[in-house]
Amino acid sequence: MVNYIDLTIQILVAIGVTALGFAIGMLFNGIARKITARIQNRVGPPIYQGYIDVLKLFTKKTNISHGWIFDLAALFSVAGIALAFLFLPVAGVSLLSGEGDLFLILYLLAIPALGFALGAGASGNPNAAVGIMRALMTMLAYELPLVMVIIAMMVYYDTTSLAVIVQKQANMHWAIFIPVFFIGALVADMALQGMLMEKPFDIPIAPHEIATGPMVEFGGKHLGALMLYKMMGIVVETTLFVDLFLGGGVILSVSQFGWLAYVVNFIVWFLLILFVFFIALLINAVFPRFRIEQALKFYWKYDALVGLLILIWIFVGVTP
Amino acid sequence: MITLTIAIFLMGVIVVGLLNKYPKTAGIIAFFVSLIPFFALLSWSSVMNITLPSYLQFLNFETSWQYNLGPGTLILQITPLGWFFLLLLSSLFPMVILFSISYFRSNAGGFYAAMLLTMLGSFGILLAQDMLTFYIFWEIMSWSILALVIRGGDRKAIVSYLSFGALSAMLILFGFMLLYFKTGTFVFAEMHLDASNLVLAAITLIVSGFAVKGALMPMHVWAPHVYSKSEEPFVAFLSGGLSKLGYFGIMLFMYGVVGFSLLSSWGTFRGVPLFGYSLAVVGAFTAFAGTVLAVMQDDLRKLLAYSSIGQLGYIAIGLGIGTPLALTGALFQALNHTFFKAVLFLAAGAVYYRTGKYKISELGGLGYKMPFTFLASLFAIFALAAIPITSGFAAKWLLYEAAIEKKFLFVTPIMLIAGVGAFLYVYKILYGVFLGEPRYNVKEAPLSQLVPMWILVLPLIIFLIFPGWFVDLTAPILQGYEMTAIPHTPYTINTSLAKYNTLAVIFAFIGTLIFAFILYLSKPQEKVDHMDNYLAGEPPELYDYISMHASSKYYEPFEEVFYPYFKRGAERMWEIILAAGEVFGSGARKIYTGIVGDYSIYILLFFLIMVGWWLLW
Repeated sequence: MVNYIDLTIQILVAIGVTALGFAIGMLFNGIARKITARIQNRVGPPIYQGYIDVLKLFTKKTNISHGWIFDLAALFSVAGIALAFLFLPVAGVSLLSGEGDLFLILYLLAIPALGFALGAGASGNPNAAVGIMRALMTMLAYELPLVMVIIAMMVYYDTTSLAVIVQKQANMHWAIFIPVFFIGALVADMALQGMLMEKPFDIPIAPHEIATGPMVEFGGKHLGALMLYKMMGIVVETTLFVDLFLGGGVILSVSQFGWLAYVVNFIVWFLLILFVFFIALLINAVFPRFRIEQALKFYWKYDALVGLLILIWIFVGVTP
Repeated sequence: MITLTIAIFLMGVIVVGLLNKYPKTAGIIAFFVSLIPFFALLSWSSVMNITLPSYLQFLNFETSWQYNLGPGTLILQITPLGWFFLLLLSSLFPMVILFSISYFRSNAGGFYAAMLLTMLGSFGILLAQDMLTFYIFWEIMSWSILALVIRGGDRKAIVSYLSFGALSAMLILFGFMLLYFKTGTFVFAEMHLDASNLVLAAITLIVSGFAVKGALMPMHVWAPHVYSKSEEPFVAFLSGGLSKLGYFGIMLFMYGVVGFSLLSSWGTFRGVPLFGYSLAVVGAFTAFAGTVLAVMQDDLRKLLAYSSIGQLGYIAIGLGIGTPLALTGALFQALNHTFFKAVLFLAAGAVYYRTGKYKISELGGLGYKMPFTFLASLFAIFALAAIPITSGFAAKWLLYEAAIEKKFLFVTPIMLIAGVGAFLYVYKILYGVFLGEPRYNVKEAPLSQLVPMWILVLPLIIFLIFPGWFVDLTAPILQGYEMTAIPHTPYTINTSLAKYNTLAVIFAFIGTLIFAFILYLSKPQEKVDHMDNYLAGEPPELYDYISMHASSKYYEPFEEVFYPYFKRGAERMWEIILAAGEVFGSGARKIYTGIVGDYSIYILLFFLIMVGWWLLW
């Protein structure tokens, strides 16, 4: 017999945390624009600009659709990224992360990407197709060093579950304090830069070359959905990084401090993902854009080489 | 009843062969004959601890059959492993025949005859309990495939299939001979093998012989030629069904005949038998290289062929690791691959049937014209790319878990990156064929082509929701190898490392989709033609010679990076081996001088050596 009260509470918590995720994503969009503007000696838009943009796009009167395959993009991108968020432990709270593991999260992240690609392709604009090609190749490029580090961590912690990895880092035993995973964090941070599509890896978007690539045909609520996807994507990807290397932001144990622990952990988690995103922004603000084959060579030659060293280190160090 | 099945098949072969002028009639007869293995499968389901519903109880096939031949006994008997692979082949085969009824407009009798013979061969292989029977049916299958390849009419395909088929048969035969020499029996159950080098050599030969059929690198050379130059329904069956026979053979001999403990006695590395470890490494290489080569193809069939090679590599990884988790994953991947690759090849056939084109750069925009073909291939593509809304993910997940469990630190990243590479080529299919600029004003594929595709999609959805049912299927197989099935409930799978709950994924996905749908319905929308695009003020009417479809050389930067490493393919390697063989052969040919005096000297020398050896003994 299922306990319906518990289930309802869980669903409400899930909805609440997802809404919080979207809200933080929109806030991050504003912060990003403000910081980039200040670095480039501009005033920049207000910090709440993300909320205004999304609200505006969802209340537009004219919405152009290019057919039902095109509409799938809006559905899949928002649904997929929210789904990926639900399977992440957020500030030690594992919503559904006990029901799946890191491999599931990596593949769930592909749902919004492929859905988005489907819609972009259906629009029939060649710029969109070229943008998707670049996006997929960037994905191929950054995934190699990322999975190398992730697999090293899986073998080190002897689990593939992200929730368990977060648990094992409790009491400040963060992975980043282990020398090999400090290097791993650097490798993964480079991969994160490509995941977030920030410069020098904003090849798929490249406004000056291919007219924002995949997004070129989107407007109104469809673009609003894509903006939600991109903003939530920032939260999901930085949370993944924080869960892997920074203990998920857990500094107080719930059993000891009760509800206070939840509040403190959520604040620490927020500060940590903001910090991780801030590093990405700083790199983004000062670098020009790579070409696609340069990105591939950067990731597969240099980043993956360090990743390989980490794998060898773990291979020698861990007895089977 | 087994003999009756074989007799009906052989009669069917003759009848449909004679009906060459009436393709529809031949097809319908072949379809009814092709259903027999499936009914046999149902009647044998007690092997898998499945009880049939009462209205199917009338199906009562005998479970074994024997025939005494001079040197040994021919034995056909259903086993759990044979049942599982028969499930794949016998459910795929009628669908392929159904598809071909509308696909062929003429000259189809020979096709159906050869297809029935192929199925007959596979049926025998899956039931065989001794090496003689196995080999006889293996040859029946191989030669009827050759007939089907010849129908394709491409010389390179025929020659490469023939030479690699012969290589495969020779390797298997040689391995069988060694096993017979060692044990003195052909029957699998009576073989008592030990950890001698002879057995190791035999199993190596046998496995490499099966690897040809399973298209493992570097034995895959025939596959792209054959897949891309034969008729589409046959290729669907070849890639989906027949390639699994290679893995069936590997599994049968590695775990059924030799066994895990004996494999371990030839050395282990980190708890995995060295033999299996090397198979896993070869499989991982195949998965990666197959994927990279698939991304570079422009011909839809060649792309699917290399993708097939890559996806089959995963099965080899699972069979190599050899833990219950890995074997479950390998079998699951075999099941998924059977269905999704068959759907994709059939969809390629339907596209060809309507447009007459195979080149991705010449197709485009068919998604709105052929929506049901598109949706079926979309599901298949989700399964191929292991997106967690089809059962494709569960199989890959099990394999990843198995690799991490055994601490395969270098193989797992390759597997994962091959999985990411799969996104690249599936998007090439999606965009190049179904999305983008519409170039053909065609109708949807006929119903008799859509129905098989959609029936083949069903297992991908069923096993998405209930992966536990699949694990139940593997339990009797693993029991035969003294292993227990992995812990599971109908919709969760547990491993020592993590847990996968499909129900949580599905319900969460439905929930988030509802959320997205509410957002989406918030405002009405206006539908425009999907080519009504923003083109920076350059209307395409002005430049009607410019294609709006960017699918030609779609992954050009990718090819620039990877082509130098893949330029000298496996074909080059075989050419070098061939050239070395020719040098050696022409050297050896000098012995045959054609002068009688020389030959008499050879005979004399031979006798001298023999006599000298006898004297010294």
